[in-house]
Amino acid sequence: MRYLLRRAGTSLVVILGVVTITFVVSRVVPSDPASLYAGPRARPAQVEQVRQDLKLDDPVLTQYVSYLGDLTRGDLGISFATRRPILGDLRSFLPATLELALLATALSMAIGIPLGVLASSRRGKPKDSVVRLFAVTSVSVPVFWSALILQLFFASKLGWLPLSGRTSSNVEFGEPTGFFVIDSILSGSPSNVWDVVRHLALPVTVMAAYPTGLTVRLIRGSMLEVLGEPYIEAARVGQIPERTILYQLALKNALAPALTILGLTFAYSVSSAFLVEAVFNWPGLGKYLTDAIVRVDFPVITAATLVITVIYVVVNLALDLVHAKIDPRVELS
Amino acid sequence: MAAPTPTPPTSPARRLLGLGPVTPGSAVWYYRRNWLGMVAACIVGAFVIAAIFAPWLTPYAEQGRGVPDLPQRLKGPNGSHWMGTDELGRDVLARVLFGARTALLVAIGVVVLAVVVGVLVGAIAGYFGGWVDEILMRITDTFLAFPPLLLAVIVAAALGASLQNTIVAIAVSWWPWYARQIRAQVLSLRERSYVKAVQAIGVPSHKIIRQHIIPNAMAPVWVQATADLGASILTAAGLSFVGLGPRPPTPDWGVMIADGRQFVLSGQWWIAVFAGAAITILALAFNLCGDVIRDVADPKTRGDQ
Amino acid sequence: MKRFRLIAVLVALTFAAAACGSSDTADGDAGETGGAATDGSFVYAFPFAITDLDPASAFSSENVVLQNVYESLTTFNPPGSAELLSPSLAESWTSNDDATEWTFTLREGVTFHDGTPLNAEAVRASLQRTIDLDLGAAFILLPIESMDVVDDLTITFTLGYPAPLDIVMSSNYGASIMSIDGSTQDAAWFNEGNDAGTGPYTISAFSPNEGTKLSRYDDYWGGWADGQFSEIDIQLVEDPVLAEQMIRAGDADATNNLPFDSYAALAEEESLSVVKGESMQNLFGLLNHERLSPEVREALVLSFPYDEVAENLYGGEATRAQGIIPQAVWGSSTDLDLPETDLDAAAKLLADAGTTDLSVTYSFDAGTTEQQQIGEVWKANLATIGIDLVLEPLTFDARWELAQADPANAQDIFTLFWFPTFVTPYDFMFSLFRSEEAPFFNLGYYSNPAFDDLIDEADALSGTDREAAIELFQQAGQTLIDDNSAVFMLDVPNVNVVQSNVEGYTPNPAYAGVIRFHELSRNE
Repeated sequence: MRYLLRRAGTSLVVILGVVTITFVVSRVVPSDPASLYAGPRARPAQVEQVRQDLKLDDPVLTQYVSYLGDLTRGDLGISFATRRPILGDLRSFLPATLELALLATALSMAIGIPLGVLASSRRGKPKDSVVRLFAVTSVSVPVFWSALILQLFFASKLGWLPLSGRTSSNVEFGEPTGFFVIDSILSGSPSNVWDVVRHLALPVTVMAAYPTGLTVRLIRGSMLEVLGEPYIEAARVGQIPERTILYQLALKNALAPALTILGLTFAYSVSSAFLVEAVFNWPGLGKYLTDAIVRVDFPVITAATLVITVIYVVVNLALDLVHAKIDPRVELS
Repeated sequence: MAAPTPTPPTSPARRLLGLGPVTPGSAVWYYRRNWLGMVAACIVGAFVIAAIFAPWLTPYAEQGRGVPDLPQRLKGPNGSHWMGTDELGRDVLARVLFGARTALLVAIGVVVLAVVVGVLVGAIAGYFGGWVDEILMRITDTFLAFPPLLLAVIVAAALGASLQNTIVAIAVSWWPWYARQIRAQVLSLRERSYVKAVQAIGVPSHKIIRQHIIPNAMAPVWVQATADLGASILTAAGLSFVGLGPRPPTPDWGVMIADGRQFVLSGQWWIAVFAGAAITILALAFNLCGDVIRDVADPKTRGDQ
Repeated sequence: MKRFRLIAVLVALTFAAAACGSSDTADGDAGETGGAATDGSFVYAFPFAITDLDPASAFSSENVVLQNVYESLTTFNPPGSAELLSPSLAESWTSNDDATEWTFTLREGVTFHDGTPLNAEAVRASLQRTIDLDLGAAFILLPIESMDVVDDLTITFTLGYPAPLDIVMSSNYGASIMSIDGSTQDAAWFNEGNDAGTGPYTISAFSPNEGTKLSRYDDYWGGWADGQFSEIDIQLVEDPVLAEQMIRAGDADATNNLPFDSYAALAEEESLSVVKGESMQNLFGLLNHERLSPEVREALVLSFPYDEVAENLYGGEATRAQGIIPQAVWGSSTDLDLPETDLDAAAKLLADAGTTDLSVTYSFDAGTTEQQQIGEVWKANLATIGIDLVLEPLTFDARWELAQADPANAQDIFTLFWFPTFVTPYDFMFSLFRSEEAPFFNLGYYSNPAFDDLIDEADALSGTDREAAIELFQQAGQTLIDDNSAVFMLDVPNVNVVQSNVEGYTPNPAYAGVIRFHELSRNE
């Protein structure tokens, strides 16, 4: 319990720090938000009016304090470029990115864990080398490059999968959750589900590449450590089948310290969202943020960064707590 | 009855660097026994040589630096342009060679800058402990709280596009990893008897940190830093791709892919493909080296190959 | 046990994902990919974000939507038409001899999307709203002194000075007519996706970050025939490579603003047609008069690779600019005395002036391939005469802001792409070169009172004596060239790529990028 409170406390401090950093960075951007908000060819007097309305002439510290005040009330501000409340925008963009990132995380675990176990069990053998080469390659290919190749091949050339977007333009269904896999299932039409899944295939694959490599490496490392322990030797002597040793005795113990990879994988998925969403025209948080950067729309830059980071911090906190729960040693350190 | 291990001969290169023979069981010895690691090291070496000698390796050195030759634009690979020409008629091979300079500069610049900052912060936090440690580590945690790439992107956007800013932006988001690592090292070193001894004779703190703490805490940091070179190249390419890379006409692989991508659909694949291959191969080589070095440095995972 | 359950969950999760993953990629039938549906809908992959749907303030790419939703009193015809203008919401119009009083007679039987009829009061209220808000392109209405509703279908305008109000009313921006109810609304109402126009389409969904959907307005006065499109999906596709893949795969029916180098290959595709409009857009570099000496400006003008750039960049589709007025705009000329590329002369100028080791900044739109390529070619030329051209890519907003702040410390060359608000030479000359107290779009900070008088006089004449006006505009155009006010680079055509089975598309450079969806139909 003390541990929980302490972790939650430091997380709060960290989030306050993140707010401060993003606030500072966004004020450095060389542009005039007032003229952006006032619109193209606005007269100087109108820009001045907007400057006053938005309180941009207040001292930076005052702006910072009022920004913090707004945040505690759950008000993320309005976009200067679109003049829309950011919170409303996030309702559709956040699930779009989370859907991608969660599926990419799941896919990378599904591939990465078995491969990591395989490599560790064949340490130094050709299979190990092949798996390691695969893992290293998957963290070495730029995602925007692999995305282009996959698009060219599976979408443009073969026509098997759609190029971009979350659904075909003639497919429509209610969006109660914003997670289209769930929404399409709720719509009750298998063709909707199929359309959504097909649109997810390429971006999820591309997004999963980097975290897969990471997972293989971490699982292999932590498996090798466990496999060297005496109880495994004992099990081997006891003629327990190798499969059982690997997947039940060793992996169970290797996974616990490797839990952090779940957070890391998720983080890498989310941050590659910038590149992946741009290439697949995926209406998510990454694209929302890159668009805002291009338009120098700093309330959006700050808000989107904040939301992504808070999610990341919360995921890590949750994983740490789970870790502490299943591994009492953590509490002591 | 084991035969005595013969002393391996010292290679000329090692003699030149004033290093002794490689002893069996040392890290270098283990590294050499890993063929993947050796291949990767050779590839990295080739890129370094290409970067240093780029002007002498191509007849199109001026084009490599950015001078266009419009009548030759978008020609496919041929006898005089082995990798074809780009949208301004420049030799793609020359751009790739000169791009190696940019890539290595960014990779090394990022890692060195991040290590310097990280080591300073980490060493000070670890050595002094207490409230200094608390403050510095909360700052470090804050920077670590940003998902990778996110902070680099917004810092680069705020600073504006240029080579220096790319390096600064990535380094800003990387130093905390090194800071944490060195702090952990320092925490254990601080308790060592020789440190206690120099403290006792009144050597000033900054001297102790500089002369006794940092040198002894660096080994794992260098391992991590080497392993990070590949990631640094990929991150820089990502920034270039979203338009936050170095200014034209700086030769840069990320920019080449971003610009060359648009010609692929019309059948002019060579710009994006060769630039993409260069990034992938160098990043792969760096990552393989890093992987092997990490294994070698950690006896538990040392592969017996 | 707890630990074990967690692993079980993880494993189950991974297998579920693996199952999804494999079914994603393993199966695939080519038949299902088409996003461009055959059910009367049309997909336009459009590269620019639409952020403002209030016709009174919209002044950018929004015209792609708004020109299909709202209409104006007149329409500007494509170049080569017999008449400059066509009737739109006005059926006919007249003016007095000195073009200071204009009367427009409105079309009968037109209704707004909210069901109310078009009448003179709605026209007055719409234009008054634009004038009062004074945003975007409201300046086009500056000549209007008063508006009088004569009867239900007749409205009279009294101007403060002579102006071609018939052309003004065909403007790409700022001349839209909305219902009386619409005129009482604020920007927020429009940006929720509401509209109050008379056009063939009404806005059915709007997201500034994803795109806009239009549905046909059944009671459109122009009527509907079989085969016309009832649903329009204007998708925001910022990545040109993706847009090109979409149009090639048939996922989009039309797209705009692809890199020019790809048009040649696209034209060879049987399923696609590459449609080039004439050029009312041009690219030029405004030279900072506060920072650059006359000699350096002349050297810059003489060092620009005019022909080399025209032949090789923009896929060879652009032509060398003949001064500030693009060729398809009335009042343009091919007889102006233009400078030629002459590096020796430029070097001599610099030597005589004793200028050495000069560094000059070139500010351009980040991400625009062609502007960057031009900068790189020019840089190579300038390097030979001892000038270092520093390329500064920034977003338009950022560099515009910097250019307005302090001319003495601003960029040396401001690269700008311009297309007319409404079609008149005055728009180019007034916006870009007329003396300004505070810099707005005159970002070379050029000031020449004689030039100002000349173009004001020409503008006043363009409502009554167009021939005389053209002569004065051409004289003013030569003045700009002789003063080395800017480097006039290229006239750039507007190009759309459309599926060949779509019929009826005629490009109109007066409304660059706009596709009038009502004119189109699909030929199955």
